[in-house]
Amino acid sequence: MKSNNVLIVTKKELFGIYAEKTIVFAILLQLFIALFSSFLMVGLTTMYDPNALSGYQGVEYGIGYVGSDGDLYSIIDGRRDLRAYGMDLNTAIASLKERQLSAVVFVPDTPPDAEGPILVTLYMLQNDIQSAIVEVKMKEAFLAYEEELRTLRSDRLTLNPIRLNFPDSGGRSNYFEFVFALLIPLLVFMPAIISAALIIDLITEEYQSETLETLLSTTVTYGEMLWGKILACIAIVPIQSGAWLALLAANGIVVQHPLEILLHVICGSLILIIIGAFCALHYRERTSAQFIFSTAVVVMIIIAMSVPYNPLNLIVRLAVGTIGSLHWIVLSGVLALALFLSILLTRYAGRISRLPR
Amino acid sequence: MRIGYLHQIAVVARWELLRTLSTMGRGILPAAIILFVLLIAASGLAAERGIHIQDGIYRLGTDNVPAGEVIAEDPRFMVFIDSGASLLNNRLFYDIIILGSEVYVQDTEKGRAALTSLERVFESYSAFMNVQEPDLYAAYPLWIDRIYERSELDFSATQSGQRISPLPQTDAPQPSGPILPIATPQASVPYEPDQLRSGISRAAAQDDTVSRYTQLIASDSELGSFRTPNQLAPPLPFDSIILIFVFIFPLYFTSQFFMMSIMNERIERKGEVLLSAPYRPSAIILGKALPYFVMMLAISILLIMISSLPPKTILPLIPVILFFLSAALVIGMLARSFKELSFLSIFFSTIATSYLFFPSIFANVHIVSLISPLTLIVLEIQGDPFTLTDYFYSTSLFYLTSGILLYAGAVNFNEERLFSLHRLIPRTIEFISAGISKTYPLISLFLLGGLVIPFVFMVQLMGLVLFFNLPMPLSLLLLIGYAAVTEEVAKSVGIYALAKILPGGLTWRHAIFGSAATAVGFLAGEKLLLFATIAQVSESVFGSIMFLSLQVLWMPFLLHAGCLAVVAVALKGGGFRWYLPGIALATIIHVVYNLTVIGVITV
Repeated sequence: MKSNNVLIVTKKELFGIYAEKTIVFAILLQLFIALFSSFLMVGLTTMYDPNALSGYQGVEYGIGYVGSDGDLYSIIDGRRDLRAYGMDLNTAIASLKERQLSAVVFVPDTPPDAEGPILVTLYMLQNDIQSAIVEVKMKEAFLAYEEELRTLRSDRLTLNPIRLNFPDSGGRSNYFEFVFALLIPLLVFMPAIISAALIIDLITEEYQSETLETLLSTTVTYGEMLWGKILACIAIVPIQSGAWLALLAANGIVVQHPLEILLHVICGSLILIIIGAFCALHYRERTSAQFIFSTAVVVMIIIAMSVPYNPLNLIVRLAVGTIGSLHWIVLSGVLALALFLSILLTRYAGRISRLPR
Repeated sequence: MRIGYLHQIAVVARWELLRTLSTMGRGILPAAIILFVLLIAASGLAAERGIHIQDGIYRLGTDNVPAGEVIAEDPRFMVFIDSGASLLNNRLFYDIIILGSEVYVQDTEKGRAALTSLERVFESYSAFMNVQEPDLYAAYPLWIDRIYERSELDFSATQSGQRISPLPQTDAPQPSGPILPIATPQASVPYEPDQLRSGISRAAAQDDTVSRYTQLIASDSELGSFRTPNQLAPPLPFDSIILIFVFIFPLYFTSQFFMMSIMNERIERKGEVLLSAPYRPSAIILGKALPYFVMMLAISILLIMISSLPPKTILPLIPVILFFLSAALVIGMLARSFKELSFLSIFFSTIATSYLFFPSIFANVHIVSLISPLTLIVLEIQGDPFTLTDYFYSTSLFYLTSGILLYAGAVNFNEERLFSLHRLIPRTIEFISAGISKTYPLISLFLLGGLVIPFVFMVQLMGLVLFFNLPMPLSLLLLIGYAAVTEEVAKSVGIYALAKILPGGLTWRHAIFGSAATAVGFLAGEKLLLFATIAQVSESVFGSIMFLSLQVLWMPFLLHAGCLAVVAVALKGGGFRWYLPGIALATIIHVVYNLTVIGVITV
């Protein structure tokens, strides 16, 4: 196999990708998803963790309080973002329906140290984002009240669980886990899957458009053609993944160890691309090859995710900086697998190229 | 001999079906079956062993061994047990240090995230301990009964989900409407302690990320509306994520086969045989699409039956199927090579999925969600059946755009277009120019102006979903700019195509009257569709910006015609290089006009 010929094929494919401006679509896609970043911060973080909604601050929401004044009243009214009004139930509900109030609580006269539980009824508006925010704030108030009641009834508790004192200051963060442990591995690995689909397109197109004969009538051999295409597909992976990392950095999300992450992505994509190439060589027809390959990818990703220290997990750990040199061992394992697969592929290609077409 | 139109469709459909079966039969089926079995096995493996993506992202050091053991149950934490002194010496290494029962946190984003997760871990630990208390009501003294009321104000008053009620006052508010008697709620929990106990432990067991994603269509109503304070969570429909994968993904997948079938006709001019048959192009297209349509319908019905949803759920999926098929047709006809096909289809699927998916997240929270047919399914699952108006409102754009795309496909389904090898954008322009008659350019431009409207609406509604959760003034400004660009580009498409196909380029007559004709078509289409469908959104603050131009007719007409004339003159005077600057200038004029109308800029 002449490396020169491989490079010629690589160059031809890369030029084709450039000339067709398909890569522009890939970048447009990235920008489009980046445009969602505002959305991701509010919408998706919320979906991932509804408690993030409490980040909405700066307004005071009116709460109708029905019942005799008690600890719950002062807890609600003591919050900066809630204000309690003592009212009767009928007026309170009518006001709620007119949106003069954000929620109504009905508190019965059960004494705090009673035998049974205290049942508070919470009325909220349906179909409303404001309700969702207020509900989170009410939850915090209820939790505080629950803790008070629990202390009051503590002589009736028998178990003695471990207790920790959490600092009150410093705030909380919900978006970190979402961004680093879900979004980043997803975004960084997507180019690998795109490239694997690309190798199928490149190979099956030669067969289906019957251009393979022409290509092989030059000095280029079958194996050189194959590896040239694989190289082209790998070459665009770090460009796209790197673009993601840069885009995230521009948004203030700085990922640690970007080079190591890219190495993991390249090795992972090598395996996916080789498997894609197997499918393409076997079926020599795009529809079938893509169908089998995409199902196989789903299976592989699910299996990979259920193993500890899988490449996706390593990318996350690298990004947050909690892995030592251990990841090099996994990386070399993945690389060895890729090399083994590539030897198999070369043999398979050799067998196929001798078959009559 | 002329064969009947329906018969033509039937013949092509049968032919397509046979060909697909024969291609797919070759070796696909065994591999597919093996993979399917593997898929089930892999899902089982993942369900049993958990998903290890977030493992070991936090480092926690402690000298409190029992606490460390509790925390180590959560794979996110790497727990290091050491003496207090050596922990403090290496404190930069850890995100959290626990000495005794005191928790110390790094003051970083990651430290705060670790603290949040640690608190969760301890919450579920406390729940696990509390539920074993013999006296349940000492451990859980407070129960909440959550009841939802319907607001009597409609969407036009609550618009963006922003607060509209008056600023907090010292006195309790007084309702202006009638006060109806409300039944006094019960004062005790109507369940036995054992029922409550199992309810709590079940909820605690479900409270992790994996189950949140895999938990199918929510049914944790064992305790009805009763819950502990800790179990309160706003109703965000996680179902819609599942829905996407369950319903939309197979549909998208099947439409790929149609896309490929169209593409195959174009490779090496294989479709010439089909074109030489005495069949109408539209019959060929419908015939080729029919097997896939039936297949997608069957898949949907099967899925609906499996998840035991009401049969009515199929209705919102039909326009989605049509939309996918018509888009597949156009993409299959546009792409020059397999890789272009792949990228175009990935691009399309991302956008289409976002359009379907993102609004439906807000199914319970905001009326904007109704622009996605998926929302109807989410509502249906929640036992909140959708009305005919809802259906019309969220699906009409899908029906219209599918119809227009299919029409565009049928008009261009000829040798010249199918086998040309021009680049993507010129090809797209060629496709559009097929709808422009050189003899009656003005009428064509008028029609084209009307036909782009559904697409403009889709793009604009997409923008609405994107921007509506940003802070108020910013979201309005972004939306104004976005709407203006969309409209200007959409309007100029006709003029641009005309300039391409006319041998001598645009004449001044074309530039001026063409702009006017497009503007009239655009306005007519806008008005028609708006009154028919999206009156609800258009009454909101956002809607009034997007569709600002409806109050008086001559003003928006001048605006649309004037802005388009700017582009047309740029094209006429400077050629195609001046198209983008022309669009930019037109957009600026459009934005200034809109700002003036809503009173930001006063004249």
